[in-house]
Amino acid sequence: MTGTSEAGVNMERRGVRIVDTFAEAFDMRAARVLITANSLGWAKTGAQTMTGFATSVIGCKVEAGIEAELAPEHTPDGRPGISVLLFGFDADGLSHRLLERIGQTILTCPTTACFDGLPGAAERVNVGGQLRHFGDKFQASKSLDGHRYWRIPVMDGEFLIEEKFGVQKAIGGGNFLILGRDQDAALAAAEAAVEAMRKVRGVILPFPGGMVRAGSKVGAKNYKKLTASTNDAYCPTLRGRSGVKSELPDNVNAVLEIVVDGLDRAAIETSMRAGIEAACRPGVVEITAGNYGGKLGKHHFRLHALMATA
Amino acid sequence: MITLTLKEQPVVPLESEVLSPDVMASLSNAAIRALPVYLGKTQCRVEDFFTVDGEASDELEIRGDAKQVKWIGRGMSRGRINVVGNAGMHTGAYMKGGSIEVSGNVSDWLGGEMSDGFIRVGGNAGGQIGAAYRGSRGGMRNGTIIIGGTAGLEVGMRMKRGTIVVGGLVRDFAGLEMKGGTIVLLGGAELRTGAWMNRGTIISLAPIPLLPSFMYAATYNPSFLRLYAKHLGTLGITIPYDPKDGGYQRYTGDTSIPGRGEILVWKPHAS
Amino acid sequence: MLKITGGKVYDPKNNVDGAVKDICIDDDGRIVATVDGNARTIDASGMMVFPGGVDVHTHVAGGALNFARGLVPENQRAARKFIHTPERRTGIGGMTPTTFATGYLYAGMGWTTVNEAAVPILSAKHTHEELHDIPIVDKATLLLMANNEIVLDLMEAGETERARHVVAWMIWASKVYGVKAVNPGGVAAWKWGKNASTLHEPIEGYQNVTAAKIIAGLAQIIDDLGMPHPLHLHQNNLGVPGNVTTTLETMKVLEGHRAHLAHLQFHAYGGHDWGSMKSEAATIAEAFNRNTNLTCDAGAVLFGDAVTITADGPWQHLLYELTGRKWGNLDVENETGCGIVPYVYSDRHLVNAVQWAVGLELLLLIKDPWRVFLTTDHPNGGCFWRYPEILQLLMDVEFRKEQIKRLPPEAQNRIVLADIDRQYTLSDVAIITSAGPARALGLAQKGHLGAGADADITIYPEKPDGQGVLFSYPRYVLKRGQVVVEEGEVRTVTEGHEFVTRPAYDETIEEYIRPLFQKVYTMSFENYPTEIERLRHPDVTACK
Repeated sequence: MTGTSEAGVNMERRGVRIVDTFAEAFDMRAARVLITANSLGWAKTGAQTMTGFATSVIGCKVEAGIEAELAPEHTPDGRPGISVLLFGFDADGLSHRLLERIGQTILTCPTTACFDGLPGAAERVNVGGQLRHFGDKFQASKSLDGHRYWRIPVMDGEFLIEEKFGVQKAIGGGNFLILGRDQDAALAAAEAAVEAMRKVRGVILPFPGGMVRAGSKVGAKNYKKLTASTNDAYCPTLRGRSGVKSELPDNVNAVLEIVVDGLDRAAIETSMRAGIEAACRPGVVEITAGNYGGKLGKHHFRLHALMATA
Repeated sequence: MITLTLKEQPVVPLESEVLSPDVMASLSNAAIRALPVYLGKTQCRVEDFFTVDGEASDELEIRGDAKQVKWIGRGMSRGRINVVGNAGMHTGAYMKGGSIEVSGNVSDWLGGEMSDGFIRVGGNAGGQIGAAYRGSRGGMRNGTIIIGGTAGLEVGMRMKRGTIVVGGLVRDFAGLEMKGGTIVLLGGAELRTGAWMNRGTIISLAPIPLLPSFMYAATYNPSFLRLYAKHLGTLGITIPYDPKDGGYQRYTGDTSIPGRGEILVWKPHAS
Repeated sequence: MLKITGGKVYDPKNNVDGAVKDICIDDDGRIVATVDGNARTIDASGMMVFPGGVDVHTHVAGGALNFARGLVPENQRAARKFIHTPERRTGIGGMTPTTFATGYLYAGMGWTTVNEAAVPILSAKHTHEELHDIPIVDKATLLLMANNEIVLDLMEAGETERARHVVAWMIWASKVYGVKAVNPGGVAAWKWGKNASTLHEPIEGYQNVTAAKIIAGLAQIIDDLGMPHPLHLHQNNLGVPGNVTTTLETMKVLEGHRAHLAHLQFHAYGGHDWGSMKSEAATIAEAFNRNTNLTCDAGAVLFGDAVTITADGPWQHLLYELTGRKWGNLDVENETGCGIVPYVYSDRHLVNAVQWAVGLELLLLIKDPWRVFLTTDHPNGGCFWRYPEILQLLMDVEFRKEQIKRLPPEAQNRIVLADIDRQYTLSDVAIITSAGPARALGLAQKGHLGAGADADITIYPEKPDGQGVLFSYPRYVLKRGQVVVEEGEVRTVTEGHEFVTRPAYDETIEEYIRPLFQKVYTMSFENYPTEIERLRHPDVTACK
């Protein structure tokens, strides 16, 4: 991934330079799952287990994360809950991932129930209707208000899951990079960015703690078959190395990347703006973004356009 | 709105399937008055029994003690009927949509084999609510029926889907041969509830006598009941669900079939 | 006096095949050679004139029918309603029509004589009452005999002479026209929960009596009595895959006797179970063509709803177990029984698709149209008012082949129908719907348009109706010279006649029957026979 620094309008925020470049993001499909339980704690346990090992579609087949905590008044069954977003390439793949993950982590988690969070989505995939077979024909269905649910007998009582889940168009790969004077500064800024971004609905940050310390480039220079490798242009220890064209200004000694997936453009813009704003703090030299020349992903988020309205 | 006020009590029941929004929505006042109703084998006119005000509307109001007027709202698919008074047999039978409200009582076969729509009765109802007519393989296929008062025999017999809620005591054979759907008994029932039940759910807030072919399974607070409680709450009906207040005793049956239905009886915590 | 002029007449008995000629009718309702100038005229130009239809095997009246009506109230709700008018009574159509509706429906499609194929002696009065209430059409009836325990006991003891007198007494006591055998021995065995699946093994409870002996014994008795219609036989193993062997064996047993094989379609299956079931219509037709002592009716199946009603108790129980739905079973003490199971013939179901083809194959492969008649064993294979659909399939080979293509592919491997190109002519139609059955029944005044015939005449438009089905809507139907139906509407309601046969027997046989009867029946002997006064318009034929 190359960051493009163009000569042009300068933008700064509290001493931090905002590079005039854009993040390049991709078409994806998303589903939203609402997990309720007797307590917020158990809903969170289920959600965390479900969204583990879901950082990148390439290696993990799905990108998933916790979107928000839900108060009892806002869940279908009036219990505390968590909403989770999952992103994949297509509806068919997503339906398999939903089945796998809900089946292994929510079905098995005490007191949970599981509902669709995209009731307005036209495309529907059958999840509960597949999972019901776990009930070994002892399961039962209930229809209410145009929704069909499955009640699967389990050891702690019943697992209630909605039959169909909505899938909608979404965007994956929104990003920005935080270039810091040192590792502590970069980390503090990234943590602040993540905290601000987690308050936005409609997005998730799939990587550990919401950030990536090992940002990658497509392919590799020295290994023929590698599909992705370290983004040497942004690795501080490779400045000056032959074969490396570094993008880092002189005083940058650590870089962290924030990756965000969202249900629509507006959600990603809102979250990126909040994140960049929070990351512009002492110890940060520059904010830039990753793209592929604009040729691979059709969703471009220009940093200057984003921050001009902040 | 079209208002029909009963002015003459029919000597034998009046067959009045024309009292439906589908029939009247595009008719003039004169045409409505001339619609046929059957008094036994004699064909009469609506105006022989009702004064008619208004025209061309899918909102009907029927006023008076229409307990001898049968088939109100038969097969209707839209609009609204409001009966201020009582209504007779087969009210809302074969209904496909729209709504019927009756302030007073209704007779047997309310919502017989309805496939969708909403019916609310303030007073008491007869038997065979939402049921299959004799010989038919299935009763109501969807829709909601709410009775404020008591109900008679065979409530929800062979129903396939949908919800029936009864406020007062129901008589024998509620949920007979039930195939699916939900019956909520707020005021309990007499004998043989759920006989030959195949699938579906009967919820009783009061203890009821159960057939020996229904087997106790567990006492618990099912998640789906919370969905029902929320849904019924929007219709002004409260059912308990909180583990702090009590739990539901689940009886599985009718094992003589063997059926996969359930009867859930509310058991409050000892007070 | 009436004259029908200008129509194309189809009168196969009198070798008239579409010639335009006048048909003259006298005031007694008979066809005559000429009438004088004062006669009223019906202009039948551009139309076809047929003798009125004769249904040689149907179930329209009596205890079993009434039980069936009660078993399927949902059918009654969905059926066509006949609202009363000053001329017409109320009725319900559908698969088990009520009595008045039965007459209107048959007459409405141009059928004027029907043969009620299953009457138990014990409830014969009920059957006659219902038949009386069926307007317009003339009726014949058949008495259930092959499981009558008094007769079987006599056969067991080898008392053939006495058996003949007893059978003759029973025929006259019931005021019927002919004799029916249903699953010989099997219905008697059903009283023990058993069946009679082989022809040569003793029936349950007997040492000597076998199904074959019952068949041969009854056929002989009927021939000896000189009955106008031969033994009318619903064979053993109806509906069972592989029953082709039973049918071929039965034909051997019947050699030397007259006999009529009922609803032959249900008896022409190969394979050994439901999965391997296939058509053996070609085999049956070939054997049937050789056995010129036999007539048959098709018992063809049409896709759609039906209600099976037969005296074949064990078969009906088997069908109930296949469908898992409603089943009614009645026992008629000492005599017979009946079973009722509503059924749907589906064009997606392999077995039903084969059955559909077999009926048509028999109608097309049996060479002599004078020996094979159009029936669906109403209401078992389909409703009688759908007969025109079968005629369409017989007359139009392109249409038939299109229907075959819609069958499940595996079914098409089990039948030979696609290879048959024969098309029925209008003359063939007149034979299988009227002339042939009338002759087989021995009703000389029915089924033709020659002088002396009853003026039962159906006049059809030459072109098919909107749905392309010919014969659905007659322009006129006449019954004994009166116009009863005009343009699909019943205009005049007449009362039909009932044909009754009186065979000869020694009156002293009653001294044998009476004490036996008192011992084994729950009713009193005096109440058993049907008095002739119960029949309003009996037409009695004495034999020998």
